[in-house]
Amino acid sequence: MLSIKNLHVSIEDKPILNGLNLEIGTGEVHAIMGPNGSGKSTLSYVLSGREGYEVTEGQILYEGEDLLELETEERAHKGIFLAMQYPVELPGVNNMVFLKESLNAIRRARGEEELDSVKFMQLVKEKAKMVKLDEKLLKRSVNAGFSGGEKKRNEILQMALLEPKLALLDETDSGLDIDALRIVAEGVNALRSPERSVVLVTHYQRLLDYIQPDHVHVLSEGRIVRSGGKELAHELEEKGYSWLKEGAAA
Amino acid sequence: MSAGNEQSRQWFEDLAHSGQVDLPSEKLGWLDDARQQARQAINTLPVPYRKQEEWRYTSIDGLLKQNFQPVNDPFTALQSVDLEDWLLPEMDCYRLVFANGRCVPHLSETSELPDGVRVGSLRAALTTDPDLLATWFGQTANHSQHLFTALNTVLINDGVFIHVDSNVKLDKPIEVLYLSLALEDAVVAHPRNLVVMEPGSEATLIERFVSTGQSVYFNNNLSEIILNESATLIHHRVQDESSQAYHLSNLFLSQQKQSRYRGTALALGGAWARTEYKVKFLDEEAECRLNGLYTVGEKQLTDFHLDIDHAKPHCASEENFRGILYGKGRAVFDGRILVAKDAQKSDAHLHNANLMLTRNAEVDTKPQLEIYADDVKCSHGTSVGQLEPEQIYYMRARGIETAMAQKMLCLGFADEIIDTIEIEPLRQHVHERLHNALDRVVSEQLQAEEVA
Repeated sequence: MLSIKNLHVSIEDKPILNGLNLEIGTGEVHAIMGPNGSGKSTLSYVLSGREGYEVTEGQILYEGEDLLELETEERAHKGIFLAMQYPVELPGVNNMVFLKESLNAIRRARGEEELDSVKFMQLVKEKAKMVKLDEKLLKRSVNAGFSGGEKKRNEILQMALLEPKLALLDETDSGLDIDALRIVAEGVNALRSPERSVVLVTHYQRLLDYIQPDHVHVLSEGRIVRSGGKELAHELEEKGYSWLKEGAAA
Repeated sequence: MSAGNEQSRQWFEDLAHSGQVDLPSEKLGWLDDARQQARQAINTLPVPYRKQEEWRYTSIDGLLKQNFQPVNDPFTALQSVDLEDWLLPEMDCYRLVFANGRCVPHLSETSELPDGVRVGSLRAALTTDPDLLATWFGQTANHSQHLFTALNTVLINDGVFIHVDSNVKLDKPIEVLYLSLALEDAVVAHPRNLVVMEPGSEATLIERFVSTGQSVYFNNNLSEIILNESATLIHHRVQDESSQAYHLSNLFLSQQKQSRYRGTALALGGAWARTEYKVKFLDEEAECRLNGLYTVGEKQLTDFHLDIDHAKPHCASEENFRGILYGKGRAVFDGRILVAKDAQKSDAHLHNANLMLTRNAEVDTKPQLEIYADDVKCSHGTSVGQLEPEQIYYMRARGIETAMAQKMLCLGFADEIIDTIEIEPLRQHVHERLHNALDRVVSEQLQAEEVA
């Protein structure tokens, strides 16, 4: 599904990713862990196509296609979804209108028929129930005045609605209480299927108690320094990240 | 005074003499007096120019270059206009239609008015209700505010007359549609309106200014609005005219005890459009809430002047204006709240926000508070910003294309004003107009960016 080779990325000439390699197979769930400043969010943003990130070297193939050639919205059309660490507020833009436009933009790009208001309403209400998002929030401006947990749930609602092929979750667990965490995890687990891949970017291991990853990677100083199964997450939890740094240096 | 200014005065004098006033009434002393005073004012008032604070950002040079002619007969040209094209779908209302400043009774719809309500032309009221007019005319307007108001007064020929008796509550809105017909000459009209709400009465008034073609003309309006004790007026104005149109509206609003005024002022089109609100609280516990929206693009200027006079204690005012600017569009917002020395417990808020879609657009915004009382709640603020790249990115990451994302953000910005219009067909209409305008603007802008 996704193949990243020797990826180097700079922000304003400051190198953040330094030769990152990662292979994500179809249907797999990967967790990328790492200390603050290791480049986790940069990786998420580069994959989603945010401006300001300069790829100086390397290659990203998504379903065999050069991802870096695609516009941000084209990536979304082709099934990439990033649940953001800091969801953006859109004052004045009604959440329902936004969700409908998003879903229909993607359907249009895929040559599918747009959903009319009635069908859309049914669908969005069903999904909102699933992620336990108060229906009142659908009538408000996107994320404006939402609590941290509501914003994250709104991200998961979008994910559930758009049914991406490759879902990236950037620190979705940060700032969530246990109940919210469980809801987010349920949303992700409901999406798991042999056709979809999920990448969880996280600082902490606790999300992985609810979503079992197939692979765990540790990112440090802009590259993957260790990969393993889900037991690697537990090891990190016990020993912290410094253990790895020493290990890498040795 | 410079020679240039004297030439400019000549323009006003010529206009003042060009109007053919043929009111049908008996000789009315009060009207003659008002006219006489205004005629004198035209000789003495300063010519608006950019060294005066009120005209600092708004040049009238474009107007002065035009040789405006009065319209003596708008009715012939009106025959080729289908009124249906200009009505809002599913709008249930009483209606007055004006063509180039003259009321058109056969297109108007006032036959089912409830008892105690007068909605008609000022011209007709001179004959039917001279006493009411004598009582209220000129009570709140300052004919000598500036040369344009004086001009309007000299040339009173027709306009709107609304009078609602005590405690009468209108069941439907009153809509006034001002059609400016595309005529060969550059023409001018001076609609003169008088709205009187007696104690405890309630009404909704919608005014829409439209052009049937892309011709040059000048609308020089003056409205007097009088809200007596506990009266309520909801008042929406939509100025949406030809890209060649000049438009000046002067609204004088006076409010008695516990009266309520709530309005929206929308300026969506025209070459040069200026609207002045002069609001005065004459007694306590009155309330005035006014929302405004302007969109302004290439070769356009929109100007709002608000003057809110908290002369009495315990009154509340709130003005919230937003603008979307693009191309080389220019906007002026000059809002002033004056709280008099004894006007304790005044609650006054003034805010202006501007969204600049292009680098070349310009806004001059000047919200001011002048407070002489010491126990008040007042605030004012202004902002000038662009669309946030962060927001566009977020929407694109959800599959929404850049142009659509920009449009949705602009509409979102405007909706905070538009959504306060409680009349569904009008709100829909304004939405549509804005959608269409933004479609054009956003696609032009994206093309320009690609070229650059």
